[in-house]
Amino acid sequence: MKRTIQEGRAAHARPRRVKAGGAVGTLAAALTIAGVVAAPSAMAATRHAPSITTITWWASPISTSGPDLRQTLINAFAKQNPNIHVKLETAPTNTDTNRADLVTTISGGAKTPDVFMGDVIWPGQFGAHALALPLSKYLPKSFFNRFASGLVAGASYKGQVYGAPFFQDQGFLYYRKDLLAADHMSVPKTWEQLRSEAATLVKQHKVKYGFVFEGQSYEGGTCDFMEYYADTGGQVLNSTDTKSVLNVGKVTKVLSFVRSLVTSGASPAAVSTFEEPQAMAAFQNGEAAFLRNWDYAWSVANTKGMKSAGKVGVAPLPTFAGQPYPGYSNIGGWNLYINPHSRNIKADLTFIKFITGTEAQTIEARPPFSEIPTNAAVRANPKIKALNPPFAVLSKTKLVPRPAQNPNYPRISQAIYSNFNSAIAGSKSPSAAANAMASQLKAALSSSTGL
Amino acid sequence: MASTELAPGEVVAPPSRAAPPKIRREQIQRQYARLGWTFAAPALAVVGIVTIAPILFAIFMSFEKVNVTSAGFSFSGATLSNYHTMVTAGLWHHALWWTTLYTVVTVAVEMVIGTIFALVLERLTAGRGLMMALLLIPWSLITVISAELWSYIYNASYGILNGLWPNALGTPFSATVALMVADAWKTTPFVTIIVLAGLVMIPRELFEAAEVDGASGWKTFWRITLPLLRPTIGIAVLFRVLQAFGLFDLPYVLTNGGPGTSTQSLAILAYNTMFTNIDFGPGAAVAVSTAVIVVIMCLVFLRAFKQQVGSEEVPA
Amino acid sequence: MSMRFQHGWRRWVNIPTVGSVVIALFVLLPLYWMLASSFKSQGNVSASPPQLFPIPIATSSYNQAFSDGFGGFILNSFVVATCSTALVLTLGILAGYSLGRLPVRGKYPVMVSLLMISVFPTIAVVPSLYVAMRTIGWLNTYQALILPYTAFNLPFAIWILRNYFLGISRSMEESARIDGAGAVRTLVQIMVPQVTPGIFTAGVFTFTAAWTEFLMALSFDFGKKTIPVGIASFGAQFTVPYGAYFAASVLATVPIAALVIIFRKAVSSGLTAGSVKG
Repeated sequence: MKRTIQEGRAAHARPRRVKAGGAVGTLAAALTIAGVVAAPSAMAATRHAPSITTITWWASPISTSGPDLRQTLINAFAKQNPNIHVKLETAPTNTDTNRADLVTTISGGAKTPDVFMGDVIWPGQFGAHALALPLSKYLPKSFFNRFASGLVAGASYKGQVYGAPFFQDQGFLYYRKDLLAADHMSVPKTWEQLRSEAATLVKQHKVKYGFVFEGQSYEGGTCDFMEYYADTGGQVLNSTDTKSVLNVGKVTKVLSFVRSLVTSGASPAAVSTFEEPQAMAAFQNGEAAFLRNWDYAWSVANTKGMKSAGKVGVAPLPTFAGQPYPGYSNIGGWNLYINPHSRNIKADLTFIKFITGTEAQTIEARPPFSEIPTNAAVRANPKIKALNPPFAVLSKTKLVPRPAQNPNYPRISQAIYSNFNSAIAGSKSPSAAANAMASQLKAALSSSTGL
Repeated sequence: MASTELAPGEVVAPPSRAAPPKIRREQIQRQYARLGWTFAAPALAVVGIVTIAPILFAIFMSFEKVNVTSAGFSFSGATLSNYHTMVTAGLWHHALWWTTLYTVVTVAVEMVIGTIFALVLERLTAGRGLMMALLLIPWSLITVISAELWSYIYNASYGILNGLWPNALGTPFSATVALMVADAWKTTPFVTIIVLAGLVMIPRELFEAAEVDGASGWKTFWRITLPLLRPTIGIAVLFRVLQAFGLFDLPYVLTNGGPGTSTQSLAILAYNTMFTNIDFGPGAAVAVSTAVIVVIMCLVFLRAFKQQVGSEEVPA
Repeated sequence: MSMRFQHGWRRWVNIPTVGSVVIALFVLLPLYWMLASSFKSQGNVSASPPQLFPIPIATSSYNQAFSDGFGGFILNSFVVATCSTALVLTLGILAGYSLGRLPVRGKYPVMVSLLMISVFPTIAVVPSLYVAMRTIGWLNTYQALILPYTAFNLPFAIWILRNYFLGISRSMEESARIDGAGAVRTLVQIMVPQVTPGIFTAGVFTFTAAWTEFLMALSFDFGKKTIPVGIASFGAQFTVPYGAYFAASVLATVPIAALVIIFRKAVSSGLTAGSVKG
């Protein structure tokens, strides 16, 4: 215990002598050393006396209303681990703001938060800049067998696993059962069928908008684009995630299709400004027949008082004509990462093991939370599957990740979503937008800069 | 009215009667100069200590190859490559052009409307305090919230303006105008309050003299009010330009720089480069160059407004 | 101020009153929309077509804001903004007087440097300030925000106050000097009352800047969240909690309105000073 305190002091005292420029680096280096040395002694201390280790968990709100999933999980953890106290820090809900704050804090050498909940698209970036601890160096390989297939690969960068999958998300097709039944329409299996059904319903004034999705110039646009693009058999990056293999022809096909959604009247022009909340609002207000959205949309659409309540069906996303059904769904969701400066790595790992274990994963899958569990055993449980209609669809869907295993992912994504958006809005022709996407993607990958 | 508060008004009574005695004038002058520094020192010290070091550090970063690691920033040598990357980036060109256009249009519109508002409120005999309080509300709104308010108003799915102005944020032109409207709503009060404060400092006699001379209201405005308002308007323009050029929160919330990257301001570009793409070198270059551009604009502006902003006391 | 006698409708339908109504509408319509929406139920906030009046009135957004810790946020904001404003005004009056009225050498470079500092984008200074704050152990304390807010708002305050000090006629100051008043007394008793509108302007703008600042508050004081940082964690991933935002905003506006009412004497005495002279 004494040693910990001394190290702590050293870490504070040293940087004062360093001047301006070098201060940041030297200071953080000093802290890292202090942190590494101090961590084992802190653990030793916990063994001797039943003292309580406090770890800080940085997580943005998950559930909108009702009980807080984060707090519920912390309480469950506390029952099994009385010696570890988890302190919740509520992070900003905007993912970019959240990341900006973590970058400032962690690169600034802060010891807290110990554990942070971060987006599934962060491993490349956080791994490359060492802003997260490589979990695979601290946990046995067998630990990662608990996760559903594909998730661990998505949380890895250069052979190391950085994130522990906490809950998963993916795209679903939501539709209005009543509207389809009234017109003897079937649930669309192809995008073309979806377009014609949506356009028909709009023309017959059955509904204001046909199909709503996320067309705004932001990360969600990349999610939607990846689904269409994977349906054409296209890929963005090569197997080592270093070079672009974007197929301009296939991209043009995708962009022509999404533009045709607007020009055919199947989707409103305003869909180019829609993010999840706007698309969700149109659907829950009974103004849209089809919605592409995530897992959460089911419970929102069926909330009492919503015009869509009780009339909603959920299915895997369609694909392009001539391709095997179903189409691809993009993977979203959140992982748990460890701050490399954390002084309580052992406790952090205990917490992560608990959160990804069957008990916690069952809690998050159950109502009112209904998050898609990452733990394979929990997902396979028929009782869990029966809880929530999207869960039942889960095993039928095909998944496609975003090309996030490259540290330049934000630029890659921007190349994708900004051109996806331009094509929908019609400010660029589909082929011009596809070419712009290809060249911006190349620029993002070839240069080592973020501008 | 309370006598203490109006004391200065009474001090006006014995006006410029006596000139200061010339004897020992230089000594007094020196004494006052020393006093001046004593008065200015605390403020300058606070500003200096808190701001200079981080600014120098940002300038330093813009000339370095910066790597972000868990051990903080690591530097691998002085370089001009950050600036080279910047000036060759199409995104920077666009952001520079767009931010300049946005600044010029928004500030011009706000100055005109703000001055008109101030002139109206100055003539108001009753309820001026109420109007002031009202004007302060938009200005005091947390920027992120006022941006959210406008995103709610423009919302393409259920916004109140959706019928009148459908898909307001959907095209680059429309989105730019939408941002300007939101900006004008929040910051015109700033201009109004500053101009109004300047307006009431103008000695009443001048207007009365003009009235006696039979000058029209319009003529009085151009010949008396506006010239005397120039220092005040100068300050308002200066600070509005600085703020507008650093535009961040509004597009961050309303358009996220879209459609595409058409409403990406320089500050958003710098932010994205630094915090989204975690590339601090070029990001710092964008930030520093933005500051340099604004400083140049200010110097040009100050030169044009030299007498007005009151630099007549610059020691030769 | 001379009273102009007008009769009948012309007494009310004149440029100032009609203009004021227009200004009030310009300001009020969006504010009304915010207020009305803060009293709508969760479902009605995103109703289409939108409800013009919040019927039935629901306070759920306010409950939401408070259950998310709004009470604490407003206290933190209040402490930080009040202290920053007091510091800025004290230091700013001294410096503005000195740079405006006293024969200080090199004031032009000082003024321009101040301007340059106030121009510098906050984003560029946050990373290094963060490390500095952490080094001296100030993270999650009030002073971690009070000091930077003071420093970054002083340039504006100095500029605006200096401008007001310049506007005071020299004779007034000199007659005070002849009366044998010391420099400090001249400043406090003669000069300061003359620049009340400037003090009010600088004070309000500093308070507002501190009240609304986001990036530094997010980075340095996450443990003592101010209002903008607090509300950034309202809602959840795919929801924009407009209701809670607007409720928080309505509540956050109350202190500003109170401030104006408390200081209305200063405001009106400052703003009528000109007419009293005439």
